[in-house]
Amino acid sequence: MSLIEELHKTIATTYEVDAQTASTQTFEFPLMPLGTAYDMGRDAQGVPLFDPRIFDSREFQRNPYPYYRILRDHYPVYHDKLHNCYFVTRYNDIAACYFDGLGYNTIPKGSSNHVLGNTQLELSGIEHSRRRNLYGRHLVGAALTKRIGAICKLANEMIDEWFNPESGMTEYDPATGKYTMELGKAFANEFPIRVVCQVLGFPDEARDKFYYWYKYMMGGIGGRDYEQKGLMARQDLEDFVESIVEERRLKPNFLLDDEGNEVAPDIISELCKTIVDGDVLSTEEITSNIALIVGGGGETTRGAILNMWYLLLQHPDQMEAVLNNDPLWDAAFHETLRHSSSIGGQPRQNTFDVELQGVKVPTGSLMHMVDFSANHDERIFSDPEKFDVLRNDLYSEKILRSGYSKDGRTNHMAFGVGPHLCPGAWISHQEGSIGSSIMSKRIKNVRIATDRMAKDIDGVSLAPIGLGAINELWLEFEAI
Amino acid sequence: MSADYGSPTVEHEAAAGDDEAGYRSYEVYQRERVGSPPPVKPGQLRTQDYLDDPYTLLANLRHYGPSFRDWQGNAFWITHYNDVTSVLVDSANFATRSKRWFYGLATFGRDLRNNVPFLTAQAAGIDKHAPVVAREIVEAFATRGTADLATEFAALFPLQLLGRTWGIPDADLPVFVERYLRMQRGSRWNVANQEAGKQAMLQLVSYFTPLLAARRADPQDDVLSALATLEIDGPAIDAHDVVATLLEGDHETLHGALANMWYLLLTHPDQLNMVNNTRRLVKYAYFETLRHSTPVLSGERFAKREVERFGLLIPEGALVICSAAGANRDETIFRDADQFIVGRKDLVQREPRGQYRADGLPAGITPALGTPSKFPALPVGRPRSLYAITRDIATIASHALLDATSNLQLAKGAQPVLKSRGYGELHTCWHLPVTFTAK
Repeated sequence: MSLIEELHKTIATTYEVDAQTASTQTFEFPLMPLGTAYDMGRDAQGVPLFDPRIFDSREFQRNPYPYYRILRDHYPVYHDKLHNCYFVTRYNDIAACYFDGLGYNTIPKGSSNHVLGNTQLELSGIEHSRRRNLYGRHLVGAALTKRIGAICKLANEMIDEWFNPESGMTEYDPATGKYTMELGKAFANEFPIRVVCQVLGFPDEARDKFYYWYKYMMGGIGGRDYEQKGLMARQDLEDFVESIVEERRLKPNFLLDDEGNEVAPDIISELCKTIVDGDVLSTEEITSNIALIVGGGGETTRGAILNMWYLLLQHPDQMEAVLNNDPLWDAAFHETLRHSSSIGGQPRQNTFDVELQGVKVPTGSLMHMVDFSANHDERIFSDPEKFDVLRNDLYSEKILRSGYSKDGRTNHMAFGVGPHLCPGAWISHQEGSIGSSIMSKRIKNVRIATDRMAKDIDGVSLAPIGLGAINELWLEFEAI
Repeated sequence: MSADYGSPTVEHEAAAGDDEAGYRSYEVYQRERVGSPPPVKPGQLRTQDYLDDPYTLLANLRHYGPSFRDWQGNAFWITHYNDVTSVLVDSANFATRSKRWFYGLATFGRDLRNNVPFLTAQAAGIDKHAPVVAREIVEAFATRGTADLATEFAALFPLQLLGRTWGIPDADLPVFVERYLRMQRGSRWNVANQEAGKQAMLQLVSYFTPLLAARRADPQDDVLSALATLEIDGPAIDAHDVVATLLEGDHETLHGALANMWYLLLTHPDQLNMVNNTRRLVKYAYFETLRHSTPVLSGERFAKREVERFGLLIPEGALVICSAAGANRDETIFRDADQFIVGRKDLVQREPRGQYRADGLPAGITPALGTPSKFPALPVGRPRSLYAITRDIATIASHALLDATSNLQLAKGAQPVLKSRGYGELHTCWHLPVTFTAK
């Protein structure tokens, strides 16, 4: 064979191999049994390779944890060259980055900015610390305790509706005495929204709009298809807030208890008189804060309630333990957030060139702190894939900005830690555990209506939660 | 208030009109400014749609506005001609990152491409070998009457020329080429390719180590000898430096340009006829190819500092994708931008220098081949630019092909297409079967 023929053959073979293996974007990852990762190949030392296309795949949505384990074990700081970002996956690294507010900025003009406006998500350093507690401080400690009575009342009102045949929330079968309902529709979707509306002091008629604002603003984040609708929803929210802000500036509105006593002013009234840098907040600033509450206060808590019941009902012994010991609802809530939280993590940008776990990251790179992975880090939580309300290495008391790691117990990462700790952490905790506790006292013999639930790939077992929260939870129960 | 979640539009539009006065913050202004939803879906710029036909999507982006924020790919896309060129010449604000950085091997060897002895040896080697190699390659299929110009001509020529100029013995060339291609493939996001590429780099290092020593002892008239005897600050040149230099230079781009040029000529027989009759137009066909169908669709730049441009605040470290393919079809710059017109009057028929030439004419942008040069037209003490060299090689090879054949045309039933095989890879013609009569 002549040189040219030989060369030609080499080139043709290389291109042929390329065409088959290398780069087709349409590659579909096969759906694997839960807890098992698809084999993406190995390098010369036998270390598993990690294909960044997995992040866009359906497989990853339903079965993410074995992949995060590969990242934690072999690529604790993973450079994803396809999506131009880095993933930080170990608990301790993430915590260190969260605490380092100067070294790891939140993204200025980030993906949520368009729709939510200038929120504290986007601020860092002193600008952030001046503003982060504008409303958060009214949702914690004594201020929150004052509101708990009203939260319980809301929960009871909603549960009353289940037993009202005209509400259409439940289906009642007189033959068996059993009720069937979808927990999301009957309770979890609406309950956090009602709580937030009450906290904000929105009039009742705003509840209907709330869902519209919430759905489209969240859908519009990150330049998705809905961006335009998200912007309209934001405008609509702003128009609405504008109409009540001026009124509240002159005459604050209060949450009243049953006797008509003033319990606490609502958040909008509080924001109206808040002074930052020697000046009151503009309507735009107030709206941005409210947009953040609207966005953060709904889906996350909804997901926590649905996931908690879904997981507990699949572990009857743990359900039994919780039903017999009311304070365990706190542990159940936190274990749910550890095991399957609704929020995957937070983006950061490094302010300086850094070297983390041996990987050099240039200034300004997008670094995803993967809370999902931190919560399943076996360096912190033993047997992390197991849902165990009674586990003794999870801290499940009052959430602390400073985090908690003592006596072998550590806080989960679903609310983050450090300056950007979720300001709704405490109220969402109260909604989740109080709401569920009240529910558990009104219904008995609860079980999942399996035939109405989404199934996994085998068509038999219940679908895994995967990333985020389940969509629907159908329950069967009897009234107490 | 209605609870109709589906149609907020009417209310919103009614409200917008009576809101002229009053303070609007920057954020509110930004929200109102956006007139239409983004023209592409998230992630669409990394799907098969884009690989098959980037131009439709890019035209949508161009008409949408000066910039497009791709959240999923964490990048800013720039598609207007003036914007793209302004970034490409702005090395104060935007930096490239080496292929070795993408490999995660930023400290692997040294890139020696900017040393004058290397450049001189490369230019001399190409001048000496290009006509010979071109003749050999064309002769290999000239008597057959059929050929695949993509693989037998466009892909082969740059690689064999590379081997000759670098002084790699012919016997080693197939093995070398295999490793070289594998190494080039790995400088992207694909981990499997990257793993194979790392192996290839190590294999090349062990291949070059003895060869380099031999050349140092007994210098020849080739690029490798120039590198072996090169004196620079720091430790002596070793095989790692040679491999790094090979990796950073992209000799395959010429393959893409040649294949695209012949694809375009063959699918525009009138233009081919014109070029065949007036040979000096070959060069212009090459220029027009770089404009009309650049083999490298975009250049990547990273912001060195926070910059406010293109209606955006681009943070430090952000990835700006300068879409050459988008810029080259900019209707405000090129008349009938989608047409392939050899010798078009609104295209500069020389090397672009700075953002514009003094005569104001734009050039076709091809990252790696046709980015605007920062050196003067006749640099003192340096050989002519890589742009000029590749232009000459492409011309020489095409002349050889035209000389050896007549009645050159697409094979019957052949329907060649331009496409990328993966995100970030060459957008070129992979199979171009032709028939001809041997002269």
